[in-house]
Amino acid sequence: MKGLVDIYRQQFKTTLASFLQYRAAIAIWMIGHILEPLIFLVVWSAVAASRGSEVGGFGAPDFAAYFIGMMLVNHATYTWIMYEFEYRIRHGSLSFALLRPLHPIHTDIVDNVSSKLITLPMMLLAAGFLAAVFKPAFHPVLWAVAAFVPAIFLAFLVRFLIEWTLALAAFWTTRVSAINQAYHVAALFLSGQVAPLALLPGPVRAVATVLPFRWTISFPLELLLGRLTPGQALAGFGAQLAWLALSLVLLRVVWRAGVRIYSAVGA
Amino acid sequence: MPNDPAVRARDLRKVYVVAEREPGARAALRSLFHREKKKVPAVDGISFDLAPGEIVGFLGPNGAGKTTTLKMLSGLLHPTAGELSVLGHAPWKREKAFLRRITLVMGQRNQLVWDIPAADSFELNRAIYRIPSADFRALVDELTELLDLGPLLRKPVRNLSLGERMKCEIAAALLHRPQMVFLDEPTIGLDVTMQRRIRTFIAEYNRRTGATVLLTSHDMADVETLCKRVLIIHHGRLLFDGELAGLVRRFTEHKTIVVQLSDCAADLRPYGEVVSCAEGTATLRVPKANIAQVTERLLADLPVVDLTVADPPLEEVIERVFAQGAV
Amino acid sequence: MNSLRLFWVFLRVSVLSELAYRANFFLQLFESLVDLGVALAGLAVVFSYTDTLGGWRPDEVLALVGVFFLVGGAIHLVIEPSMQRFIEAVSEGTLDFTLTKPADAQFLVSIQRVEIWKLTDLVLGTGLLVFALVRMGTHLGALQAAGFAVTLVAGGIIVYSFWLMLATLSFWFVRVENILVIFQSMYEAGRWPVSLYPRWLRFSLTFLVPVAFATTVPAQALSGRLTGRTLLGAGTLAALMLVVSRLVWRAGVRRYSGASA
Repeated sequence: MKGLVDIYRQQFKTTLASFLQYRAAIAIWMIGHILEPLIFLVVWSAVAASRGSEVGGFGAPDFAAYFIGMMLVNHATYTWIMYEFEYRIRHGSLSFALLRPLHPIHTDIVDNVSSKLITLPMMLLAAGFLAAVFKPAFHPVLWAVAAFVPAIFLAFLVRFLIEWTLALAAFWTTRVSAINQAYHVAALFLSGQVAPLALLPGPVRAVATVLPFRWTISFPLELLLGRLTPGQALAGFGAQLAWLALSLVLLRVVWRAGVRIYSAVGA
Repeated sequence: MPNDPAVRARDLRKVYVVAEREPGARAALRSLFHREKKKVPAVDGISFDLAPGEIVGFLGPNGAGKTTTLKMLSGLLHPTAGELSVLGHAPWKREKAFLRRITLVMGQRNQLVWDIPAADSFELNRAIYRIPSADFRALVDELTELLDLGPLLRKPVRNLSLGERMKCEIAAALLHRPQMVFLDEPTIGLDVTMQRRIRTFIAEYNRRTGATVLLTSHDMADVETLCKRVLIIHHGRLLFDGELAGLVRRFTEHKTIVVQLSDCAADLRPYGEVVSCAEGTATLRVPKANIAQVTERLLADLPVVDLTVADPPLEEVIERVFAQGAV
Repeated sequence: MNSLRLFWVFLRVSVLSELAYRANFFLQLFESLVDLGVALAGLAVVFSYTDTLGGWRPDEVLALVGVFFLVGGAIHLVIEPSMQRFIEAVSEGTLDFTLTKPADAQFLVSIQRVEIWKLTDLVLGTGLLVFALVRMGTHLGALQAAGFAVTLVAGGIIVYSFWLMLATLSFWFVRVENILVIFQSMYEAGRWPVSLYPRWLRFSLTFLVPVAFATTVPAQALSGRLTGRTLLGAGTLAALMLVVSRLVWRAGVRRYSGASA
């Protein structure tokens, strides 16, 4: 256990060092992360304006709260490993990772969390700026905010595990960009990044609830914004835990199969 | 003027400004606000002439200034100071007329397009250099014959081996019959046969076209085979400019004697410095002045099966030049 | 004239390169269709709740999306791959090959890579555009069509100059590969009429990262919203940026070759 903590600490230092090298790159990535929710914030506010003041229970201030919150929740839970994995396989760096007495997922987790910690101040700044401009309606409910903490943590875990498993598709095909894009698109809609799930047609909402997308992004946000009853929150946690278990099993199975293929074909 | 040098350099200098940083997190954070800069003279006042049609070797350890000099000659870098003219042009001005008459080949770096047959990359160069069709066909045929390219031209470049790719690279670089050829480590990473093939080609090309060739290489075989004259650079300064033979003569006080004995039991130290002894073959380093004497004694004292006197390997000579230059 | 011939040769080389990967066509088609699908789905959701968006009718926004795909396709066809390749070449040292060729280096660098399958974006965008125009029932008068053509070309030039200036930063800074992402990220905002956005964002999308000139302005021409001032502005900016980007390029090459100022 101590060994793992040590590894995590060292990896954090490495990530920090490389981040300081690539600070311009980071700033640029963040632009996209801030702009996307901003665009939809503006669009939906315009829709609300054209309808008088609100749409489906969301007025402009509500949209502001939703999308600014979405920006932060997405930032907390997003991963990029599916874009990198194919590169690792192609360039043989995966072989190095496999030679080490440590499951490669650990390095990735730390790298992910470290980069988020480093960029969090900037994201909070952006959120603050957007809040000043768009004046979101945010009425925090104590228990909901408290519940938000484990919810976001679980959401991060589930999303990370699922997307890491998805990245393993690279073991079987080089055409991962198509898979990634399809996933990204599905996630966009079904996690509530294009529009709050409440505004999507019924069948779409149902699909989102069955798939993990609602539980990895929308659920913590709904909780934070005080849009759920305690009963719904509890059910939500149940769904998250179920997905956690499922994704762990999935990861195990797919990883084993993938490594077998990789070592058979030639590491 | 036919007698004008192809390359004329006088007191050529290139100074780089580099950022420096200590390791560690604190220094990393500090570097966000303040960058330490240092002036590094990569080329520190060199002067030489290259006559048209010469093949000249340019030697030096890594970081000595070879590539920087090459880049100045090809117009890629502005000299910081000094005079420089190549084929009558100031290279850094990158005039089209100048660029049409030179070519650059870099070992392990490709200008050929990766996914298509080399022949199609040739077409690209044909358009860029505006080579007339009739000439082009003849040139491709000549190069194909000399480099034995045959079936290679129709294969996508990524499917070629390193050696085959290098041959195609060289061919592509010479399609426009340049009069000044810069070769930066052209045989690096290639197997012995391919290296020899390329050396032969360069010599033949030089003979046929009278092009001036400047070659940098770490491979002594390249230098020995192709270059009558070498320039040795270290720490940005020219340590030697002259005939290769003269280099060996000037910088060595020793010769190597290789003796074949029935075994290694005998103590050879009184005869000279024992470099190695294995399975009856001993290598000794002996001062030049003593060669005749030592040879006589060896033949008289020991059961010698075979004896050879040779110059020390070129690597050793060059190393000595570097070492002296560093002083 | 030789420039045209050179462009044709590069195009031919790129096409030949890509034909080696036939599967990429279907891959690209899939990705483009998915992209289009998302855009249309987003529009569908939004317009299920309203009839106008900031004064724009659904068909007009559809036309805007068509322009978005059309211009995006043109960017992905030649501007992006060439600039990407250029930045790589600077760090790999293979730019030296380009600089020792007797042709204008900026030109060579700008056309060196053509991702031929990105034509699907162009085709889909044009198709969507035509479809939207038909639904709008507008008969494109000669003046409107001309306005569209001019703003489209001006938009293209502005975008190209912008990308070139971004890419040229690799002469001054290392690790610039990600810089092109600036445009990609901000370009997403071009899916919607720029007039929707708050003033500071509108300004950024017009004068900092020229997305508005690439998408909204030509779409304005199609929906009869184009003012003479905007048209003039687009044209002037295009000419200005062409000149400025050339100067930046020249400065970059001088920097690369260590010329003192």
